Amino acid sequence: MPHKAINKLGELERAVMDTVWQAQAEGRSPVSVRTVHDELSRSRDLAYTTVMTVMGRLADGGLLTQERSGRAYLYAAADSREELTATTMREHLSGMATADRRTAMLHFLGDATVEEIADLKAALAEVEQRHATGAAAPSPARGTEP
Amino acid sequence: MAGLTRFRRAPFEALVVWQCVALAGVVAALAVAPAAVASAGLPGWATAVALALSAAMLARLLWSGHRVGTRLRSERRRHRELVDALGTHDDSVATRAAGSEVRVLAHPTPTAYCLPGRRQRVVLTEGTLLALPADELSAVLAHERAHLQARHDLVLEFFTVLHEAVPPRLRAVEALREVRLLVEVLADRAARRVAGPVPLARALVSLAGGAHPETALGATDGPGAHAGTSATRDRMLLLTEPDAPLVLRVGMLAFAVAVLATPVLLLVVAVG
Repeated sequence: MPHKAINKLGELERAVMDTVWQAQAEGRSPVSVRTVHDELSRSRDLAYTTVMTVMGRLADGGLLTQERSGRAYLYAAADSREELTATTMREHLSGMATADRRTAMLHFLGDATVEEIADLKAALAEVEQRHATGAAAPSPARGTEP
Repeated sequence: MAGLTRFRRAPFEALVVWQCVALAGVVAALAVAPAAVASAGLPGWATAVALALSAAMLARLLWSGHRVGTRLRSERRRHRELVDALGTHDDSVATRAAGSEVRVLAHPTPTAYCLPGRRQRVVLTEGTLLALPADELSAVLAHERAHLQARHDLVLEFFTVLHEAVPPRLRAVEALREVRLLVEVLADRAARRVAGPVPLARALVSLAGGAHPETALGATDGPGAHAGTSATRDRMLLLTEPDAPLVLRVGMLAFAVAVLATPVLLLVVAVG
């Protein structure tokens, strides 16, 4: 099933959001599932119900707003991509200290305070020095250190 | 403490030891009932107590496993949907991270994390791409890929399930923290093989320094936050340490097997 393969990669969620934002930019907001399905169908083989399911989930997740119009629902983006991303990140980072969040997603790093960063920089200097003397392989000089 | 640090140079073997110790505890608790039933000389009330103990342990384990698993999966699914809808692709990054789906969020805070599972994702921000030169970025991506490919999340889930199955007073917070650190060290070792220790160490500093002031402040009040950063320092200093000698690593594995075999053997002897 082709549309299933698309959704597996999570492409569909993004395509739906892009279509809704595009419609908004052109002053055609809110939009129906039919409109979004028609536009997406131009470039791919997609079932109407698949688009409906995805849009329902995006509304559940707070990315789309839903309003009733007759027998169907009309959808609009809850906010711009930047704003929604900022909200997601804020919520995400503030919850990072909870054990659950840290097990659900593996973070490269936890947050650090100013003193801890100074501490880390000292440790980095040690690593750079140890590696330079230990391996005797000069690391390529990086011209612009911020 | 010095001993612990030394074992961190063999993160894989150390994780095996931790898992075997934890499993041995579970087996011992579950074995009380069959052992009691098998020993004929025991009074009836003692057998009843043993049965109750094992049954309680089993119930707690199953309940905890169910709860933790459901929670983690729904959290991951919810977040993956957000990231898929809001994130964009970066072709240069995606090519380098062959095999895992990389998403870039339009946000200035540099951060990097992965969502494990069947539909795995590596998540970066535009801030990360700006903050990291190519060699540091490939170190970070190698680190995340190591997490995803070796399914480190399953190790963490196993320990979280055990942790929550045990009554709060008996929980070993240090054990969970050490396991978290070991998983990071394991991924660091993989990234070091790809990118070398210095880019990885630089990436650790770049990403630690880039967080928004508000989130940095928010993290200071939690006790876990502080431990997290001293863990980063530990990781950094381990980057230049060679792997533990073979003798030590083999010894650790032998110890792990012995620890796990003990309750199993005792049970066999008691029943047989």
